[in-house]
Amino acid sequence: MTNSEKNRLKDKAFQVFGVFCTFIGLVVLAIFLIDIVIEGIARIDWDFLTSLPSRRAASAGILTAWAGTIWILILSALIAFPLGIAAGVYLEEYAKKTKLSNFLEINIANLAGVPSIIYGLLGLELFVRFMKLGGSLLAGALTLSLLILPIIIVTTREAIRAVPRTIRDGSFALGASKWQTVWYQVLPSSFGGILTGVILALSRAVGEAAPLIVIGALAYVPFVPSSPMDEFTVLPIQIFNWTSRPQAAFLTNAAAAIIILLLITFLLNGVAVYLRHRQQKKIKW
Amino acid sequence: MKKPSKLEAINLDAYYGDFHALKSINVAMEEKAVTAFIGPSGCGKSTFLRTFNRMNDYIDGFRIDGQILLDGRDIYANDVQVDELRKEVGMVFQKPNPFPKSIFENVVYGLRIQGIKDKKILQETCEKSLRQAAIWDEVKDKLDKSALALSGGQQQRLCIARALAIQPSVILMDEPASALDPISSAKIEELIYELKKDYTIVIVTHNMQQAGRVSDYTAFFYMGELVEYAKTKTMFTSPHDTRTQNYITGRFG
Amino acid sequence: MPHIDVELDRLRNKLLEMWDLVEYQLSSGREAVVNGDKELAQRIIKLDRKVNNFDIKIDRMCENFFALFNPVAVDLRTVLAILKINTNLERVGDTAEGIARFACKLNHPLDPELIELTKVLVMYDEALAMFTECRTAFKEDDPKQAKALIKRDKTLNKIYRKSDAVITKYIKAHPDRIAESLALLSIIKKLERVGDQVTNMAEEIIFYREAKVVKHRRKKKKKE
Repeated sequence: MTNSEKNRLKDKAFQVFGVFCTFIGLVVLAIFLIDIVIEGIARIDWDFLTSLPSRRAASAGILTAWAGTIWILILSALIAFPLGIAAGVYLEEYAKKTKLSNFLEINIANLAGVPSIIYGLLGLELFVRFMKLGGSLLAGALTLSLLILPIIIVTTREAIRAVPRTIRDGSFALGASKWQTVWYQVLPSSFGGILTGVILALSRAVGEAAPLIVIGALAYVPFVPSSPMDEFTVLPIQIFNWTSRPQAAFLTNAAAAIIILLLITFLLNGVAVYLRHRQQKKIKW
Repeated sequence: MKKPSKLEAINLDAYYGDFHALKSINVAMEEKAVTAFIGPSGCGKSTFLRTFNRMNDYIDGFRIDGQILLDGRDIYANDVQVDELRKEVGMVFQKPNPFPKSIFENVVYGLRIQGIKDKKILQETCEKSLRQAAIWDEVKDKLDKSALALSGGQQQRLCIARALAIQPSVILMDEPASALDPISSAKIEELIYELKKDYTIVIVTHNMQQAGRVSDYTAFFYMGELVEYAKTKTMFTSPHDTRTQNYITGRFG
Repeated sequence: MPHIDVELDRLRNKLLEMWDLVEYQLSSGREAVVNGDKELAQRIIKLDRKVNNFDIKIDRMCENFFALFNPVAVDLRTVLAILKINTNLERVGDTAEGIARFACKLNHPLDPELIELTKVLVMYDEALAMFTECRTAFKEDDPKQAKALIKRDKTLNKIYRKSDAVITKYIKAHPDRIAESLALLSIIKKLERVGDQVTNMAEEIIFYREAKVVKHRRKKKKKE
């Protein structure tokens, strides 16, 4: 066998290996999904979505859980969105390249990697006990905001950095101030990218159970929260709770709830993909 | 009949951190004339151009010594507001950089940020500027279309119109035709020739033929020094300095 | 109008101005010869300085044009032609000056018989006409007219070739008029030169309009 034949063989071998690796993840995910769907799809009906939780598996619903999830989603977005963008804009456009700003940058990147349970403990200490918010929606949303803030800051900075230098120069040269340049040029041009990042961050927050359990979100909430100060539960906690029960019927409930949770996550990711696509089509530098 | 000098640099030194980018430049530029800056890459000509509207201010570690006078007034003095200065000194860049907005919004951007909202003023300025930039006929039917849909040459003329809209008296051009095809490039040159009736133009170019065609005066920069500054005619027929001679004849290095 | 055309027009107009001046020199020369007007002759001689200034100025303008505009194709040929026509015009100016100098020397009145025999005035008129038409051909970018001019040079040459014999014969008959005869012969020679210069200029016009080299072609044909 000549050298080049050997090389071609190696090439082929790696290709096959690569395909195998790619599919292994997909196949496992698919098996998991199919298993869940088979288990839970029959359980999903209108009553399941609109019933309060119950001791009896057959009449238990997820109304309070998904309502809590939506509340958390909206509150976290409202808190994290302006904070994250402002911080991102500051770091990218205003901050001088000093040692302090370098230090900040590195630590923000580090924060994105901190385990979520740590954020839960921080939230418990800061929001629940120190600020006396208790195990309320607001405390939960604030905790999750902290969790996703680093992600939003990083994606905001990336989106802002993708706006070409020449656009800023053009704006400055016409007498625009830094703020005007950011407001009229940089943010509109990078908004799609920022929004994509925010939505992806939120879809991560939706799946979090640990930090919320730590701050004291309850598994059993017999009413739909009507204000940010109310106690709450979310889908992941409900699922966690159901899966830890011995009765098989609750496992079916959990599977059904997982399907709903996955739907919400996929929906958010879908919106993010759509926004990114539209942005790319609209603006070509 | 010597026209008064519009822009003047007096003992100007510029630094990027430790790098001495411009070395005691002294030059006076005539009003309503085209002055070309030529020289090899990294010779400081773009840096010099950008001192006239203080575009270097945002670069970390950049500082200057000496004075730049616009109509006899030091533009680096403490009481000078940069946004006011830039209304007087417009700039066009190497790569056409229209904003991702409509053609109309591009042209009136400079007015909008000054807080002008009067529709009539905006529309009139838009038409006047586009006409001056010799692009009105090509875009008058699609003012609300995205500026990014225009060709490169049209985009550059749009950028010139955008600069004209705020009624500057000086226009700085940083290699305005280097990213364009020869025909678009020739159109820009014709435009410069027209505009010099009303504006003082300073242009940086790598293209010596272009400098010859459009400019009245030429300044040759080398390693941060102003080697020679003369009428373009003189510079291109009998340059004084050997370095200039070598550069314009393409025998450099 | 594109910038390059504006500059080219300036150059052409400058050349036409010079052309007018030389034409004035040449036509006044005829008057000075015929009328023995020595004052006029002096004026013509003095004009030579002005023509020289034009020559230098146009050379300079051409140099600048090359340096600044890097002309190609028709623009390049036009400027090359202008440069050469400029030189030719300057020579014609010198020739007119020379004629004027002879006009100063001539004792008047000239013998009408001599003028008749040598056909010097016929020649002068023809040379002037050719010179003027060449200007029109240049001004109107008309290579046809230029081609016609080249043929007309033969008339001048014919008169010139006969002039030696005619003058010799005349001198034999009138030994007292040798100086006058020789001066006239010199003028004829100069007029022949004017004809050659006009031919050269016409050839340049054809060159820049049609990109064809017509000069030196006749000689080749003869060799074949």
